[in-house]
Amino acid sequence: MNLEIAGLTRRFGRTMAVAGVDLHAGPGVLGLLGPNGAGKTSLLRMMATAIPPTSGRLRLLDRDPGSYGPRREIRRRLGYLPQSLGYYPGFTVAEFVEYFALLKEMPPARIPAAVTIAVDRTALGGKANAKLRTLSGGMLRRVGIAQAIVNEPELLLLDEPTAGLDPEQRVAFRALLRALGQRATVVVSTHLVEDVGAACAQVVLMDQGKIVYDGTPGELAARGEGCGVGDAPLERGYSAVLAAARS
Amino acid sequence: MTAASAPAPSGLLPVMRRPGLAAARLLRLELRHSAMLWMLPVAIALFWLTTYRKTMAMPPLWNLRATSMQSGAITDFIAPVVGAAAWMGSREARRRTTDLVTISARPRWAERLTAWAATTSWAMAGYLGCLAVLYGVTAHQASWGGPLWWPAAVAAASLPTLSALGFAAGTLVPSRFTAPLAAIAAFFALALSTELIRGSHSYWQISPLVTGPWDTGPDAGVATFYHFVPDLPIAQVMFLAGLTTAVLGALALPEGAGPRSLRAAAAAVAAAGLLAAGTAVGLAGTGRLDNHGMIAIPALHDAASGRPIRYTPVCSHTAIPVCLNPAYASYLPDTAAALRPVLDELAGLPGTPARISQAAATYRQERGNSVAIGLTGPVLSGTPPVYHLLLPDQLDGPVMTASELASLVRSGAGSDLVASVTGDGPGASQAQRAVTAALMIAAGLPMPGAAPEIVRHANSQPGPSPGARCQRPAAGCPALRVGPGAGPRGQPPPGPAPGSPAYAAARRFAALPAAARRAWLVQHLTALRAGRVTVAQLP
Amino acid sequence: MTALVRPYAASRRIPPALVAIAACGLGLRIALIGHWDAYGALQLPLVFEAGAVAVITVTTASPFGEPERVAGARLPFLRLAAGLALTAAAIVALAAAGTGADLAGGTLDVLRNVAGMTGIGMLCAAALGGALAWTGPTGYLILGTYALYTQWHRPALTTPWLWPARPPHDLGAALCAGLVLTLGMAVITIRGARDPVSE
Repeated sequence: MNLEIAGLTRRFGRTMAVAGVDLHAGPGVLGLLGPNGAGKTSLLRMMATAIPPTSGRLRLLDRDPGSYGPRREIRRRLGYLPQSLGYYPGFTVAEFVEYFALLKEMPPARIPAAVTIAVDRTALGGKANAKLRTLSGGMLRRVGIAQAIVNEPELLLLDEPTAGLDPEQRVAFRALLRALGQRATVVVSTHLVEDVGAACAQVVLMDQGKIVYDGTPGELAARGEGCGVGDAPLERGYSAVLAAARS
Repeated sequence: MTAASAPAPSGLLPVMRRPGLAAARLLRLELRHSAMLWMLPVAIALFWLTTYRKTMAMPPLWNLRATSMQSGAITDFIAPVVGAAAWMGSREARRRTTDLVTISARPRWAERLTAWAATTSWAMAGYLGCLAVLYGVTAHQASWGGPLWWPAAVAAASLPTLSALGFAAGTLVPSRFTAPLAAIAAFFALALSTELIRGSHSYWQISPLVTGPWDTGPDAGVATFYHFVPDLPIAQVMFLAGLTTAVLGALALPEGAGPRSLRAAAAAVAAAGLLAAGTAVGLAGTGRLDNHGMIAIPALHDAASGRPIRYTPVCSHTAIPVCLNPAYASYLPDTAAALRPVLDELAGLPGTPARISQAAATYRQERGNSVAIGLTGPVLSGTPPVYHLLLPDQLDGPVMTASELASLVRSGAGSDLVASVTGDGPGASQAQRAVTAALMIAAGLPMPGAAPEIVRHANSQPGPSPGARCQRPAAGCPALRVGPGAGPRGQPPPGPAPGSPAYAAARRFAALPAAARRAWLVQHLTALRAGRVTVAQLP
Repeated sequence: MTALVRPYAASRRIPPALVAIAACGLGLRIALIGHWDAYGALQLPLVFEAGAVAVITVTTASPFGEPERVAGARLPFLRLAAGLALTAAAIVALAAAGTGADLAGGTLDVLRNVAGMTGIGMLCAAALGGALAWTGPTGYLILGTYALYTQWHRPALTTPWLWPARPPHDLGAALCAGLVLTLGMAVITIRGARDPVSE
């Protein structure tokens, strides 16, 4: 298992953002759904080792991120795209991806090729030397994805990765996810249920800091038959599960 | 985006991680995007407008220019370097990349150190370029001696410290107000540090702006006759290096900056840095002004430094040769021309000096920041007698041009020479005073007791000396004044009172043909000095 | 319009800027306890004036960028009012700091120096963006301190464009500072600070 979570909590002041989460995931694509404020981003940030949990057990890639050495090893094998991507406007696309490749302690000799591959896989090959300040929002999002995948991560965490992508790019992105999920654990946090349905083998639905559903997209769709609200089966299943959890 | 199958994942294969190469590539990225690159033109422009122009206006003496460059360059680079470093230190927070950088495998301290190194490298490159130009032009202009490297080293050592302080400020307080306030605060703190200096044993002279006794400023008389004493610069470099180490080590202390072992090592390094800086401050407090105008620190002092510099003087071809230290060779033509009328009057007379020789000055610390500068030894010594001269530039006061200096020499040393030949001084006879006055008139010097000669300069106003309680160079502030006979022997001899018999005798004696005057002096000078000649006996 | 003032002030971080300006005044007051003479007496207030001006110029940065520009018909008035108010606050704070103390140059010097340097800062904000606008006043601070130094150490810099080195009642210097302030305020009012892409 690349991802083992038991009783994980995270508190910010008086707010319990993550209120006890149990989750296990191996290679494959896991979709993380939930309304705003459900705790998805906080959970993702804990998986990314950006913030420590308040309590509970977290094991990533068979290591405990609580100690510096294992945490460093996890980070070498980790890719993370935050919800709000910060960037350095003066960097070019290639420089930005190279910078994070270096920070991830990739072997320097492999970085140029890895950067090229990552940039090509996100369809930014023609913009490799463009300054980030000249890119559109969607392109910047793809730059964020490129830096997340440059080190061929075994654990890839993507928070709202398709925000700003046009439909064609989203289709290509789903194909990329499926390819990456063949050997890595990919966790995708998104509001777009169709992305989950198209790319994810496992779906987790969070609400108010807890997991209220953990299963396959098909099972989620089935939960909404006859009772959910929405235009698509997954949307109906989503709303039905939330309604049940809140009642 | 493509779903092409990826190469084998890096995490599953043992690979060579080459930290040096990775660090070099990170540094290259940081160098290309450092804010200091954009601040360099600002720093260089400030350097040219202030330090370079001011320093080039000084005579081409290495000690003057090196010390002026040291304090000026640091002043010019403070704000740009601290501001740029603070800007870079706050970059993660401003650009919202904190999470991405936090989760990177490379220790955060290493990443921060790289950004600091890039800022410092550009600052150093800019400074070295400015130094090269200033020293290069000086080398072309200077008549003697070589560059002083310790002042350059102190200024260079300041840059990593300023960069570290700014970077730490930006990292700790990543606000948009941090860069400007840090830049101005650093400027103020450095300037304030010099205001607290009292005497040559002040701890505050550890400030890198200090190049010697603070209130005397760049002094032409220092490190010209005696070797440069590097004690204070050594302490300053030690202080700056210690402070830099302490600040950079402190950046590794927060949790998350690196592994525990790294943080422990950083704590030790920071402590060592603080110790070094504190020791340097303590050493500065033991400094004392030596006789040659430099700060000596006993624990750092090498007896070999501060020894006399062997030189061959440059001499004029006047009736009495005027010999200067070769570093002052540019002054010789004007000085000799200014003294020529006096020397022509006195040459060949009994007891006249055989040579006018520039001497080294002696420095003595007095109360507060006052420094007494005077002649080492008697004015006249040796057989035949040699008149020992201190050029006005060797005394405390504004740096002057060759013609201004010559004018002062003419009225100061010129009248003193005459008085030394006639024996005029306290207790002298009226006849001696009359002959002195007559010779001064004949040589074109102001009559003793005449209105003092105020030295003015084109397009400028006379101003008070530093430390004077005067807020504007205007009416009410004392002007720079030079009077006749204000030479190294002390107070000018009082001339004969107008209307007195001695005054009339002086006028008559001065009106004689030069040959007649000389003939009389050759015959009667010894008696005149012995006080056996009366006013009535003067022709 | 008045309902816009509070959110505008909050977006520009004007309250912390006022605190920083007050801190500059307090710092000047404390520093004036010491003995300063010759050019040091004139350089000292200039340092604090530059600090206050740097704070003013940083507040010109907009956190919103294009959405605000497009929607904000009243934005020019807000910019002008904020700039003038902060400049006045800085002048008052620094002049008050000199009350009862030996403030070289007096209130006229403070008024002229702060006004002129604010104009420089505003022009820098329009060219470089609000976050980097402090570079202009900071660089001018160094020029100004050097110009004051040259009044005691030849050759003196006497151009009215270096107004800190001119006497308080010098008309030419006042005109230069006023011109720069007018120009800076006009540019900032009309165009605002340059928007960096990421902010």
